[in-house]
Amino acid sequence: MAKLLVKNLRKVFGDLEAVKGISFNVDEKETLCLLGPSGCGKTTTLRCIAGLETPTSGEIYINSTLINDLPPQKRGIGLVFQDYAVFPHMTVYDNLAFGLQVRKMEKSKIDSKVKEIARLLDLENVLQRYAKRLSLSEIQRVAIGRAIAVDPEILLLDEPLSNLDARTRERMRTELKEIQMKVGITSVYVTHDQLEAMTLADRIAVMNNGLIEQIGKPSEIYDNPKTLFVARFIGTPSMNFIDCSFIEKNGKAIIDANEFYLDVSDISSIIKEKTTTSELILGCRSEDITIETKKTSPDSIEVEVKFIENLGAKSIYHLGIGEKRILVKTHIIPGIKIGSKVWIIFNKNKIHLFDKKTSLAII
Amino acid sequence: MNYKQTLRYVLLIIVTLWTLGPVVWMISLSLKPPTEWYSANIIPKKLILDNYINLFNSSVPIGGTYFMTSIAEAITVPYINSLIIASLSTVFAILIGFCTAYGVSRYKAGGTFTLFFTLLTRMLPGATFVAPLLVYYSTFKLMDTHIALILLYTAVTLTYAIWILKGYIDEIPPEWEEAALLEGAAPWTVITRVTLPLIRGGILASALFIFILNWTEFLFALVLSVTKAITLPVQISLYASAVGRMYGSQAACGLIATIPMVILGYTIQRYLVTGFTFGRVR
Amino acid sequence: MVFEKIVNWLRQPKNFGKILMMPSSFILNLVLIIPFSILIYLGFTNYIPARGIEWWRSDIVGFANFIKVIGDERFLWALLRTIIFVFTVVPIEFLLGLGIALLFLGNFKGKKIFTSIILYPMMIPWITVGLAFHLLFLDFGPVNSIILKPIFGESVTISWFRDPILAFLTIMLADIWQWTPLMFLILYSGLVAVPERLIEAAKVLGASETQILKRIRLPLIKPLIIVALIIRSLEAFKVFDTVFIMTGAGGPGTATETISCYIYKLSIQYSNLSYASAASLLILIMIALVTRVAIKPLAVKTE
Repeated sequence: MAKLLVKNLRKVFGDLEAVKGISFNVDEKETLCLLGPSGCGKTTTLRCIAGLETPTSGEIYINSTLINDLPPQKRGIGLVFQDYAVFPHMTVYDNLAFGLQVRKMEKSKIDSKVKEIARLLDLENVLQRYAKRLSLSEIQRVAIGRAIAVDPEILLLDEPLSNLDARTRERMRTELKEIQMKVGITSVYVTHDQLEAMTLADRIAVMNNGLIEQIGKPSEIYDNPKTLFVARFIGTPSMNFIDCSFIEKNGKAIIDANEFYLDVSDISSIIKEKTTTSELILGCRSEDITIETKKTSPDSIEVEVKFIENLGAKSIYHLGIGEKRILVKTHIIPGIKIGSKVWIIFNKNKIHLFDKKTSLAII
Repeated sequence: MNYKQTLRYVLLIIVTLWTLGPVVWMISLSLKPPTEWYSANIIPKKLILDNYINLFNSSVPIGGTYFMTSIAEAITVPYINSLIIASLSTVFAILIGFCTAYGVSRYKAGGTFTLFFTLLTRMLPGATFVAPLLVYYSTFKLMDTHIALILLYTAVTLTYAIWILKGYIDEIPPEWEEAALLEGAAPWTVITRVTLPLIRGGILASALFIFILNWTEFLFALVLSVTKAITLPVQISLYASAVGRMYGSQAACGLIATIPMVILGYTIQRYLVTGFTFGRVR
Repeated sequence: MVFEKIVNWLRQPKNFGKILMMPSSFILNLVLIIPFSILIYLGFTNYIPARGIEWWRSDIVGFANFIKVIGDERFLWALLRTIIFVFTVVPIEFLLGLGIALLFLGNFKGKKIFTSIILYPMMIPWITVGLAFHLLFLDFGPVNSIILKPIFGESVTISWFRDPILAFLTIMLADIWQWTPLMFLILYSGLVAVPERLIEAAKVLGASETQILKRIRLPLIKPLIIVALIIRSLEAFKVFDTVFIMTGAGGPGTATETISCYIYKLSIQYSNLSYASAASLLILIMIALVTRVAIKPLAVKTE
């Protein structure tokens, strides 16, 4: 198994700078996920690693060998394309065997390897079928099987699940995780679906506009987003954001959000340490807010229920205060309906404060 | 990387030389004075345009036999003949071809027989029709007339027109035409204002293609025309055999015929590729 | 009133469709089908214009002409020659066209110019091509003086057009020169249509360019290849123009006489129109058979 190191990768297409200088590494057997919206440069990065694009500058190393000048054939990389690119005029068997046949491996060895992969991916029944006659999930499995059949050092996957319907996607997500654990190849996985990233990755690199905003374990990214973008991108529903100002008066420090305020005297020193502006953004996830039917503490804020989304086991309550909207995801509270007046409490340990530019103040 | 690039260019140069060679020689011959016709130099030691000019006028020919005079004056007539015949045939072929293609595509008229039969016209060697055509046209006193050739060329190139245009028509969703029909337009208006503009590319492609075919057609013209409706290709062959060893003039004559092609050459390139793939692959 | 009725009748799709087909039926009938019937009729008669009897009054001689044609050595040789011509010329054009198409894959400076250069032989009238090659292969022409000089050390004077085999070679060369670009065009547009993704996938899997060619590109353009080969073969079978001007429709002797040349001569030189018709019919039947048996199944496979 191999280690991947990307240093200061930059890729420019004419006028467009798709990748603006990013660095990251992937350890042996680790799965790193490049997560980000369309156009953030994640696919371009992947293609540079594969050798299908030439970086404008930067270096790529596999196990300390610089591979910038190697053609894709010689990099020892497996790639699963977003549209699978399975060879339509060949059978499943030939598709899986292609990489091995091209390396002039012995026929019997090829045969046993193909059968092994087919068993792993549940393709044994369709081995002799022509690739253009397969179902979507079968094609996807062939694409994966084809890539891993050659025992690549690094496996690259470009949004492999985005073409599937929701049900199949869920199933394939778990299957992929199983395959990952069984086969254990160092992987880089590109996606725009944060749920996929959270499930499948050992570490996530959140990308935006050609740059990496944050790299870390899924839990780190979730609990400690370093930038506004990361906070907004991760989590369903999205984190609540409220513009506010940091004011100190009468010895107390508060976050003033016009319609309400929060007492943050206990952490005001940390805030003052991290930033000098007073224009801040308050962020709180919808599961970190509690709803009460009566006011229980001075921190409770009165809001009105504007809308309720019933998700089955839980509900998302759309609460309004003034012009602002706050979403709270929690179990169903009986007796609350649209128009009810309730109170919410922000869990002070879980609020985030952001500099109006992009930094983070506290957890 | 560099090695591959240089290899590519080397091969390209070789192919270019092979492709340009014959024509370069002809050009060189056509610009040479008679003294140089038998020598092996490509670049004429003395450049003359007489070979070209002599084609057009019946002035004293080099050599001066009776036969020469009667041929030497004729290039303008065949040239014009070819222009007229080729153009009119092309126009007719496109018109009729469009009607047929439209009928087959939209109204499923004619069935498979029509399509197959038109395919047949292309497969049959022209020579096989020489005998009946001779008989046919002479019976109707249509020998050596423009109309005879125009009709014939139209019929023969009809297949191409149908084939190419049908491909383009098929690509247009019938819904667009139906929408226009629903708004009260007569079928004819629908065609002229909706369909035709959209398949402009196909019309151009087939027109150019068919024009080339008509312009260069030889066998039937050879058989069916004598002096009045004689076309350029036939004239070239007559000229070549008549002037015997006057290679410069022959070369000039042959090259003159390619001028319309060269002019059309650039327009063709873009459309020919689309025309072929539409009709053939899908 | 009547006008309205006609317009209404026209507006019905079925009728409008029929109207549309009328022009082509008309012209095809007029120009091709009627002569075709005449062709069949003539084959069974003994019409020779020189005799002075009108063609519709000539005697009917049954199958006599046809039997004579089948036994006609010259006819059979012409046919054989044409077949050899087709089966030599078309594969060469295919391979060369494929080679050039591969050469053009990808981007490089001057691609547009090179493309125009490569394509223009197709646009030259066949007669001019024939003339050009005739001039090239003259006794003191450039082929003898310039090209073969380095090989033989001095100017050769090979009389290309007086030797049967060499003459045949020259007409083959002319055809190859003129039609390889067509193969190139068809094959190139097919190759370009192969999805780039598949090529990339093959590359990442370790395939070299040759392997990609053999296992991805060629298999995917197979239908196109078949179509191109069939079309070119049919056209090559009909070769006449270049032969006419280069070797005088068959010279020396009958060494380069293709089947089109022979039938042409029968009609024009020998004026034996009935015999020519019989020969023509036999050729047509042959082509129809070959199409039905060999080509149609191939064509269907490519659908």
